[in-house]
Amino acid sequence: MSDPTSPAVTADVQDFVELCVPLTGFSEFDLYATGMAERYLETVRQQVGPDRFAEFWAAWTAAVADGGGPQSLSPVHLEVARAVTYLWHTGAWPRLAPAAHAALRRQPANEEFVVAPEAYVEGLVWRTFHGHPGGAKPPGFGTWSVQPPPQSDILSLRQDLGLGELPFRAGLTAEVALDAVPGHLLPGLRAARYVPPSAVPTAAERPDTSRERA
Amino acid sequence: MTGTVGADEAVRRRYDVVVVGGGWAGSLLAKDLGERGWQVLVLEAGNGGAETWPGYLDSLSTFYSAVAKVPNSGYRRSVAAPFPDVLDLAPVRDPEPGEREYTANGYFVQNGRLPYGTDYLRELGGAAMHWLGAVPRMHPEDFATNERFGYGRDWPITAADLQPWYARAEFEIGVAGDAQGQRELGVVTDPDYVFPMHQIPASWIDRYCTGLDGTPILDEVADEQYPLKVHSLPQARNSTPNPDYRPGPYRPSSAVGLPNYGERCVGNASCVPICPVQAKSHPLRQQARFPRTVTTATRCVVTRVRLAGPTMGGRVSGVEFRAYTDPASPVGRSYVVEAGVVVLAAHAIENARLLLFSGLANGSDQVGRNLMDHPTVLNWALADERRGPVGPFRGPGHTSGWEVFRFGEGRRRRAPFRIEIGNWGWGWATGAPMSNVATALGVGGDRQGEIRPDGVFGPELRRLLGSTIGRQLQLQIAVEQSANPGNRVTLDRRHRDATGNLRPVLTYDLDPHTRSGVYAARLVAARIFQRLDATDWTNHAPRDGVPPLGHFTHTVDGTTLDLAYSGAGHGAGTHVMGSSPRDSVVDAFQRTWEHPNLYAVGCGSMPSIGTSNPTLTMLALALRSAEQIHQDLVLDRRPADVRPADEAEVPA
Ligand SMILES: Cc1cc2nc3c(=O)[nH]c(=O)nc-3n(C[C@H](O)[C@H](O)[C@H](O)COP(=O)(O)OP(=O)(O)OC[C@H]3O[C@@H](n4cnc5c(N)ncnc54)[C@H](O)[C@@H]3O)c2cc1C
Ligand code: SF4
Repeated sequence: MSDPTSPAVTADVQDFVELCVPLTGFSEFDLYATGMAERYLETVRQQVGPDRFAEFWAAWTAAVADGGGPQSLSPVHLEVARAVTYLWHTGAWPRLAPAAHAALRRQPANEEFVVAPEAYVEGLVWRTFHGHPGGAKPPGFGTWSVQPPPQSDILSLRQDLGLGELPFRAGLTAEVALDAVPGHLLPGLRAARYVPPSAVPTAAERPDTSRERA
Repeated sequence: MTGTVGADEAVRRRYDVVVVGGGWAGSLLAKDLGERGWQVLVLEAGNGGAETWPGYLDSLSTFYSAVAKVPNSGYRRSVAAPFPDVLDLAPVRDPEPGEREYTANGYFVQNGRLPYGTDYLRELGGAAMHWLGAVPRMHPEDFATNERFGYGRDWPITAADLQPWYARAEFEIGVAGDAQGQRELGVVTDPDYVFPMHQIPASWIDRYCTGLDGTPILDEVADEQYPLKVHSLPQARNSTPNPDYRPGPYRPSSAVGLPNYGERCVGNASCVPICPVQAKSHPLRQQARFPRTVTTATRCVVTRVRLAGPTMGGRVSGVEFRAYTDPASPVGRSYVVEAGVVVLAAHAIENARLLLFSGLANGSDQVGRNLMDHPTVLNWALADERRGPVGPFRGPGHTSGWEVFRFGEGRRRRAPFRIEIGNWGWGWATGAPMSNVATALGVGGDRQGEIRPDGVFGPELRRLLGSTIGRQLQLQIAVEQSANPGNRVTLDRRHRDATGNLRPVLTYDLDPHTRSGVYAARLVAARIFQRLDATDWTNHAPRDGVPPLGHFTHTVDGTTLDLAYSGAGHGAGTHVMGSSPRDSVVDAFQRTWEHPNLYAVGCGSMPSIGTSNPTLTMLALALRSAEQIHQDLVLDRRPADVRPADEAEVPA
């Protein structure tokens, strides 16, 4: 008999969910609530290969344990960490940096795909801005007339998630200033409609039409 | 409706009218004529299915699974009745100066300077299965731009002629709107009119923008200051019924296949491509109310209109069509059906294709010409951080707009434009919010394909996304494109679909007047963003040698801008209406000048499309045509004759 007080999932899935909290910024409760944990673990294993996934997972476990966070991962592992996070947030497996795709010697094509219809619906990104997935979980007539509540600040997010001082960035010296978000962390124009979200280029430096001309 | 039937069953009965196409135009017209007692056959090229609830849910699931959530992403491609998709277009990297900057790799063959960037859908219900449902009326000015401002083509009828038909169309499809606001704009003239339903509530973004009411914005191309005022948009979407509506009471329609469902918009925010609850109006609702006199046959691709004998005064006798069972296979069987009146309602481009292939109605050489759309300029910005989130990705795609740039003398200098205040963030321009996740994480690599060093995770990611998605503003600006005979649909025997039908060959460009409208629209949006203290991230310049689709440069008074437009799905003009057979294809009732019992209905008849989404005007015209067809039939009732025709010639 399984222990009725623990979630009805394998130890692997429990471990996966626990260490996806510092990747995604969402609590274990939220991650389980998607109903996708097992499916995502399977997807990641399949996409990077069981052995390479085990190596990545060991590296990530160590990076969390020793307080280094994402920036102490190797570049290839950093890319896998991103893919796992993207999966939770969008329900899709992304296109990887071609260099990482090659280094991992992946079998599957390096293409973005939605894991399952319900994965799209369970994407976490919508919740970061108090939204809901387009085409699902509708909030009701007229709700769009009301301003959404403000964002939680980073300190309370860290506290709520029990994440302490772990740095949650790579290649950036400080937290991003929200009133001066740099273009390399924002999407730019999609040159064509078939470009999948994970292949959209970052925004160019801020264009100046309005300010110059006014 | 008694459901759809197969070809064999369809041709067993007699019909007064054959309608080609079960989209908006065909459905409304068929229902109207059927209710008047005429026997009507609707031949629909596409597959059905979405008229059942499980079939509809299947489309929803297909949309959920799509990586690129484009308008057609809820629908499967078809070999037997192919249709264009926005995914068919690709930019050309490092184009030579003067070289075309795109390739077209789908159903359309394209050889124009610029891409025709729009899709449609060949399924029961047509393009409206993925339309947004924005239904503003056209302005009196829009019907006479040549006379008033010296550009474009004029209509043989006026806005005043259409007012009662507009009101009827608004009843039929169920429109929610603020009539007073539309009266202020001059598009609704009846002082007592109200829409069947109260306006769809304004979004928080609309309210945010209302803060600029009264602010003058300079349009330097028109050389005029325009005071801003946010106006609510009339929409074909279920809202609260207006008790003042006459004749009342108005009862919102429920979902097809699921009674008492979808009678209010609940804010799924996915009207394009699919409204999960069917609060958005679509033609399957009309079809569900078809009387027994109307028969609908799906998977029947009309291939040709047949001319009656030489002594018949140019009359047509019926149509040939090809019926298939499997949309994935081109195998089919040919039939002929005869009827008193033939109505083409197959979409502007398909109507032109059928007329051209049949060699009919083209004495004016205008069939296929004057192809129009609303080139749409996307502008995107981040709202002021200090004022908190604006709440994008909620509610219908847009609920309000800035309308002042649509009217007046500025039209002489540049095409007019309508500013849609977008409710869906940067989705259209950048693929947000998914692409925000990707770029914030740094997944996908840099330009060289190397792994990026920078990115955020965990709480920092969540906070960054909350802020940078939560503050997204997008202005979609639809610019009027006027009729230009050089923009056209032609046929070329070298280009066929899998079943042997000739594919549309499109030649498309934007003329200087339209380009100046795009230019002015871009600068106006930049000024509005500045007034909102928003950071304007709009950039249409080529990146790393790749020009965005619809890219061009345009110079006004010595200043050159990189610009780009998207298609709006508003194909029009291809069987243009006029007052003389010398220079137009159909008369004011959409009857072809040369064939008294052949009608071509749809946006293809429109000599201009102003800055209004065209479907409401198209439906007003369709109802007006139905009345005329009824008169024709009463006057000239011929017995219909129908037979299956194994011996029917298959078009070569
Ligand atoms: C993404 C998008 C959003 C839009 N949003 C709006 C909006 O908000 N407001 C607005 O006013 N307009 C909008 N439009 C435009 C609107 O969808 C069209 O104007 C409208 O649907 C046209 O209706 P129709 O009946 O003329 O043609 P269609 O909807 O194209 O229907 C034609 C029908 O004929 C069938 N058919 C085609 N060829 C044949 C053949 N050979 N034999 C038999 N049947 C055939 C097709 O399968 C189809 O069912 C939008 C369009 C798009 C693409
Ligand atoms: S906002 Fe949602 S419920 Fe309303 S019409 Fe659009 S998709 Fe349907």
